Amino acid sequence: MVTSWRRWWWRAGALAVAAVFLWPVLGMLAFSLRPAGLPPPRTLLEGLSLQTLAWDNYQRIFELVPLGAYTLNSLWLAALAVPLTIVTASWAGLALTWLAPPERRDLLALSVALLLIPGAAVWLARLVLFNSLGLRDTYWPLLAPALMGADPLYVLVFYWAFRQVPRELFEAARADGAHALDLWWRVALPLARPAALAVAALAFVFFWGDFVGPLLYLKSPALYTLPVGVQQLLALDRTNWPLLMAAAAVMTAPPLLFFLAAQHFFWREYTA
Amino acid sequence: MSWGTQAALLLTPYLAGTLLLLLVPALLTLALAFTGYDTLTPPVWRGLQNFVTLARDVRVGQAFQNTLIYVALAVPLRVAAALALALWLQGRRPGAGWVRAAVYVPSVVPPVAYALAGLWLLNPLYGPVNLALGALGLPAPAWLAEAGPARVAVALLAVFQIGEGFVVLLAARRGLSPEVLAAATVDGAGAWATFRYIVRPLLQPWLVLLTLRDVALSFQNAFAAAYLMTGGGPYYATLFLPLLAHEEAFGGFRYGEAAALMLAALVTAAALIAVFWALWRGWGGAEEW
Repeated sequence: MVTSWRRWWWRAGALAVAAVFLWPVLGMLAFSLRPAGLPPPRTLLEGLSLQTLAWDNYQRIFELVPLGAYTLNSLWLAALAVPLTIVTASWAGLALTWLAPPERRDLLALSVALLLIPGAAVWLARLVLFNSLGLRDTYWPLLAPALMGADPLYVLVFYWAFRQVPRELFEAARADGAHALDLWWRVALPLARPAALAVAALAFVFFWGDFVGPLLYLKSPALYTLPVGVQQLLALDRTNWPLLMAAAAVMTAPPLLFFLAAQHFFWREYTA
Repeated sequence: MSWGTQAALLLTPYLAGTLLLLLVPALLTLALAFTGYDTLTPPVWRGLQNFVTLARDVRVGQAFQNTLIYVALAVPLRVAAALALALWLQGRRPGAGWVRAAVYVPSVVPPVAYALAGLWLLNPLYGPVNLALGALGLPAPAWLAEAGPARVAVALLAVFQIGEGFVVLLAARRGLSPEVLAAATVDGAGAWATFRYIVRPLLQPWLVLLTLRDVALSFQNAFAAAYLMTGGGPYYATLFLPLLAHEEAFGGFRYGEAAALMLAALVTAAALIAVFWALWRGWGGAEEW
């Protein structure tokens, strides 16, 4: 009796929490299919009722703004930045496990300290720096974070994963004449696939969603990425909600699908 | 090659990138804060002039106040929500995995899309939040169109993007020794006593670290929300420091003043790092890491 009551309590709570957190995404999808000309809804049910599905909203946003070209640009950027992030973050994470304890402790402390520097504090100076290097209006400033593993947190995720690898494996491979890069590619990385996938998902969200980079650095429309396109659509008509929600859905779908596909590994990596 | 040399080789990109993207820009911000610079002509030394100008600008005091209010509202709520959800969802009950995934979902929504969803959710006339409040007969504020509610709304929207902290606390909770928790139950400790005297003290280092990290993240989160949703309004109620710096630099080509404003963020970072450093040494360099 008591157990069944508790089970219902758990189910109700779980459903409520899931609904609250999924509501922005589900609402975005539902509203994106509302015909664009309809008057604004006056009740919640009216707003979310889907009598006619206006799939052509998704076509119209690509005609109003060159979202197709922008999407390709965003994909291209992510296709360069995500693998590069995995390389640099996993190198640093692996190197941390090889260092002698005092240096390792110092570098771990440094990595955590770096997590505490707000990116917003250095945007302006980075802009001045990249301008003086003549790199404005190129993808270099947008890709640059991948050089340092994008976020010290990703380095730490790799470090925690590689720490599980027995040191003897590396010793044995090294006795056979393997170099640092061999050890990384042949021994460490295959054993840390879940960590690599988790970081890939996080890095994809990071680079795909970046709206500050394009805002600061890109001047030519040919280079614009998806976040710029969605802001253009917002500037065209701030009240055409079905179209804006369709654009938001197009932008959200790739990282969401990536997360859902990788989530099994994602949780395992963090909470093993 | 020794392990140390090999390690140094693999660390090069990380350390070089950190130098180029964080440390050099931080020093450059410090230097620019004492100059006048419009990007077209070379910087001119101004001494403390920028700080005098900023002190006279009413928007600056307002931006400091807004930023403090945002941090005071968003950070405790975000850390508390992440902790409560992590403790509640850490078990292996059927369906818990799906709820954990649902909690993470808003965190993968890109900032621009999330801001659009926020604008629509909080629309005073036909947004779902006010339609629901109206259906329940509750008063419905005009959210982003009124100063007070706008401040609260911007902070509340940040509470749903807590995936990172949630996952970190989930991992930390799972790392606690089951024997200790079982011993507490044997000694007759209830759920609340176990949390208060055992779980929370053991999670303390993680909670402190997350709180510090969240203060740092507040600058970005506040900028995204204000730039994409409110434009700093209404009546400067959501004019946060990074937005004001952005307006000074790109609206007025006053890079020196903007850098002087961003020094506040760097001083905050220095304070956060000092707190972290004191704690880290107290934990003995966190051996278990």
